[in-house]
Amino acid sequence: MVTKPAVVLALLMAVAAAAPLVTPYPPDRIDLSSRREAPSAAHWFGTDDLGRDVLARVLSGARVSLAVGLLSALVAGAIGVAVGGAAGYAGGLADAALMRGTDALLAVPRLPLLMIAAALLQPSTPLLIALIGSAGWMETARVVRAELMSLRTREFVESARAIGAGHLRVLAGHLLPNAAQLIAVSVTVAVARSILLESALSFFGVGVRPPAASWGNMLYQAQSTLATEPWLALAPGIFILLTTVCVNLASEE
Amino acid sequence: MLFLALASACTRRPPAAPPSNDLLIVGYDREPDTLNRFSTHILEDIQTCVVEGLTTTDENMKVIPLLARDVPTVDNGGVKTRSDGGMDVIWKLRPGITWHDGVPFTSADVKFTVDAINSPSYNPESTDGFDRITSVDTPDPLTAVVHYKEIYAPYDIQFIRGTLPKHLLEGRDIDRAQDYNRSPLGTGPYRVAEWKAGEYILLERVPRYWQGDGLPRIRRLMFKFVANTNTRINQLKSGEVHVVALVPWDKYREIATMPSIVVNRTPGNAYEHVTLNERQFAPFADVRIRRALIMALDRELFVKTILDGLAPVTHGAIQPRSWAYTDRITRYPFDPAKARALLDEAGWTIGANGIRRRDGRPLAFTLITQAGYAIRENVAQAIERQLRDVGVDVRVELHDGTAISAIWFEGKFDAMLHWWQMPSDPELTTFFAADRTPPAGRNINYYRNEELTRLLYASDRTIDRQERTTLLQRAQTLIAEEVPEIPLYSVTRLDAVPASLRHFKGNPTNTGIFWNVYEWEISK
Amino acid sequence: MIGFLGRRCLQAVPLLFVISALVFLLIHAAPGGPLAIYLSNPNIRAEDIDRLRRALGLDRPLWEQYVAWLAAFVRGDWGYSFSDGRPVATRIAERLPATLELISVAMAGATSLALPIGVAAAAGRGRWFDRLLTGASLAGISLPAFWFGLLLQIVFSIGLGWLPSSGRATPTGGDLVDRLQHLVLPAAVLAIVQAAAWSRYLRGSMIATLRQPFIAAARARGVPGRRVLLRHALRHAIGPLLAIVMVDAALLVSGAVVTESVFAWPGLGSLFTEALARRDYTVLMALLMLSSSAVVLFNIVADAVHACVDPRVVLAW
Repeated sequence: MVTKPAVVLALLMAVAAAAPLVTPYPPDRIDLSSRREAPSAAHWFGTDDLGRDVLARVLSGARVSLAVGLLSALVAGAIGVAVGGAAGYAGGLADAALMRGTDALLAVPRLPLLMIAAALLQPSTPLLIALIGSAGWMETARVVRAELMSLRTREFVESARAIGAGHLRVLAGHLLPNAAQLIAVSVTVAVARSILLESALSFFGVGVRPPAASWGNMLYQAQSTLATEPWLALAPGIFILLTTVCVNLASEE
Repeated sequence: MLFLALASACTRRPPAAPPSNDLLIVGYDREPDTLNRFSTHILEDIQTCVVEGLTTTDENMKVIPLLARDVPTVDNGGVKTRSDGGMDVIWKLRPGITWHDGVPFTSADVKFTVDAINSPSYNPESTDGFDRITSVDTPDPLTAVVHYKEIYAPYDIQFIRGTLPKHLLEGRDIDRAQDYNRSPLGTGPYRVAEWKAGEYILLERVPRYWQGDGLPRIRRLMFKFVANTNTRINQLKSGEVHVVALVPWDKYREIATMPSIVVNRTPGNAYEHVTLNERQFAPFADVRIRRALIMALDRELFVKTILDGLAPVTHGAIQPRSWAYTDRITRYPFDPAKARALLDEAGWTIGANGIRRRDGRPLAFTLITQAGYAIRENVAQAIERQLRDVGVDVRVELHDGTAISAIWFEGKFDAMLHWWQMPSDPELTTFFAADRTPPAGRNINYYRNEELTRLLYASDRTIDRQERTTLLQRAQTLIAEEVPEIPLYSVTRLDAVPASLRHFKGNPTNTGIFWNVYEWEISK
Repeated sequence: MIGFLGRRCLQAVPLLFVISALVFLLIHAAPGGPLAIYLSNPNIRAEDIDRLRRALGLDRPLWEQYVAWLAAFVRGDWGYSFSDGRPVATRIAERLPATLELISVAMAGATSLALPIGVAAAAGRGRWFDRLLTGASLAGISLPAFWFGLLLQIVFSIGLGWLPSSGRATPTGGDLVDRLQHLVLPAAVLAIVQAAAWSRYLRGSMIATLRQPFIAAARARGVPGRRVLLRHALRHAIGPLLAIVMVDAALLVSGAVVTESVFAWPGLGSLFTEALARRDYTVLMALLMLSSSAVVLFNIVADAVHACVDPRVVLAW
């Protein structure tokens, strides 16, 4: 099922992973004599305030942004499947309780809450992934629960239970695989959302912090010199757009 | 709906109103919490226009009289030391001054202010100095005798923030006196006409300002709140605001070439430095390490490139404008070879990965600094690079403004890229005395030196200018030799004003650029 | 219906309770409370800090502070802002109109964009303008809103000089045209991003509706294509979209945080960023409770509206 957006994404990830080999300059090499150069043959995307090559930093930032986006979506997916699966399968009181909890979290505006959490906890990258993931599982939970609600009354569940299969087995072995398509779509959407969330958090200075590069915090650093060095903002922004578009396209498959 | 919006967008915008003697618009970076000069937090630009102090500091950081007739000194008989170790300061007030509501300004207001600040029912920001005042006598309406229980050197700026009007605030809960806190009663050239929350404060001139007829020349001042720096500068460029104080250095290039704006450069009284916390990171206690670090940094290069040459390198805590300044101190050149030699001598040898080690431990520490300031972040990263070149491993960590205060207040950091806005009185005790580590003071280097401590306290306990100067100069020499912290550059204030503004005089102290706003004039 | 509404409102109460506890814990879990901002001033001493801490009630145990806050909050006393000592309710009330203005204009703009785009894309399904519109809306939902805002500023304010870059009105101006001009860019950012999402949803919903047998029946009866589209299909498809619109409206308040910051729009969003920078707990709590309550309320209303419009939907709890 190789499709165009998936190819572009894979290419991007490969280049990001191979970043140190691809770029002639290390992303954090400071060269105070060639600061703020516009894009040229020597520096395809120009240099920033400290003379660092922007392309190298964008690619290095790609690793962080993509990793955070993907991993937090996975975290969100995992939590969502667990919660939605439990609620959808168990039904009754457990379902009501879990869904009320999910609604509670959905009611709190996501970005402000994350901004507060990130500002206060000043998380390291793993913690940031956990944070963004823990703010994105609710949609998946709802989808999984809805699907399970309708599936669990089907015949194959009855027969599986009849032959003595335990709850967990039924859940993992029969029900969830049927919901796999929906889960996949949900997680893919979560990837796009997580990338945008990370870049928004970094843009406010509470996500990935310098000197580590991420697309969001490159935009945050480019903010102050937007009028005199616009190329600093164009590169990371375009990459975010490109990636998110590909992910969203992929989710439509 | 959409068409309406598009249509309005295409309407040629009328050019923004240029600065005039009718209205001058200031782009201000924050909305004040309160206009009460004693309750307020940091900058006091707006308040300066409304409430005047007995003295103020001018563009050369000299203390000059404002509501007082002159600055009391030992020589003019205004300051008398007592046999019990205390001192009396006699303030003679200028006659004929009235509050904006017509009530005369008298020494009773001075007494009321001291009593109010020292009373437990009011929570001002700081009571520094006031708690050393035992009482105030008012022999006549224009004389206030302030009794201090001990020698207090900065007595001349004790009332720089002004006084609270007794007839308005007596017997009231000042914290909750919203009428005063939102629109303070003062004697200054302006009063608050309107405070539109979240948007602006509008000041209008008072009819009979005491400095002279026809003053102030500018009828209205509007302080527009624009928290976002980029937006503020954009508005300066589009002419929506006319004045911006404290322009960030990385914005200088954008506005330097505009013909309608003049960017004033005032050498400031603040300095940026690297704090070396020797309590937390033991190697900093070795003076050889500290000297090696300062010689490993090419401070001239930082200033020339990252700061675009906007600020000079500094070599100590007291800046050239101060009367206590001396330049006859040890200066460390950029000399990485010497730095390496010193580190070798101290027993730290280069390990396999290029980082120095001793007794199995690497020479590695964390440098924290406040997030949100591009230049500071860049300087931190440049420092990291240059120290790595001599084998020191530095990790840069950015923290929020509010979080970082808590961190250094508790001393939980190795090194910090930081700046102090120094008070106009050159007191260094709170920063370098051995017993003034937090919470008692701001000695966050946790530096302990007996002789330095002795010198600093001695300089506090005398009001003889000559003696103080000598002591402070010796203190500076000692500090320069010992390098408890690495001074980097002194902070230049950049203030953007219209090219048509006359009589603007920048001010390096916290008093701010509005200290002589009554003289300002827009010429055609 | 009344029973449904009543039940949902009752359910909302424990929901909000849980939210408030979570948010309170989070806000207080942090290093550097509201007093941190004083510490950087060398003139403040330890005794001053302690005094202020006691005055603000920050030295009491956490649960005590929470209970006190909650009790006051439900009584309508939202406390005093730590920044300027003024009542929180006043500070919020001052900023609310600006945000409402921005959001209502943005929503109007978004709907007027989303409807024609969604319908046209669905109608011309597969054709070139469907691809174009779908592509554009895809870009729209993938766009980081703050970047988009910065770009618009650069192009329309700094570059072309057509529109002001920020604020709600020129201080000396303030007439309708001036205010509209200030509104255009921030509202455009919000509107375009929202419209992208809504148009996609509407397109999907329309396509599903168009496949229904009753549409084919209408066509067979000879009803002109346009009317089928608008009168019959849209009326059915719009139900779920309305629900989404209601929910998104409440969430727009949070989306406004970013936009208000970039354009210095004096609304609740910028109040939030300022309160966060100063660790102004009381304001932050009030804002979050307000927006969460709005979302919960809008959810309930959305469900009810959806049920009204589409009788097939059963109101379950």
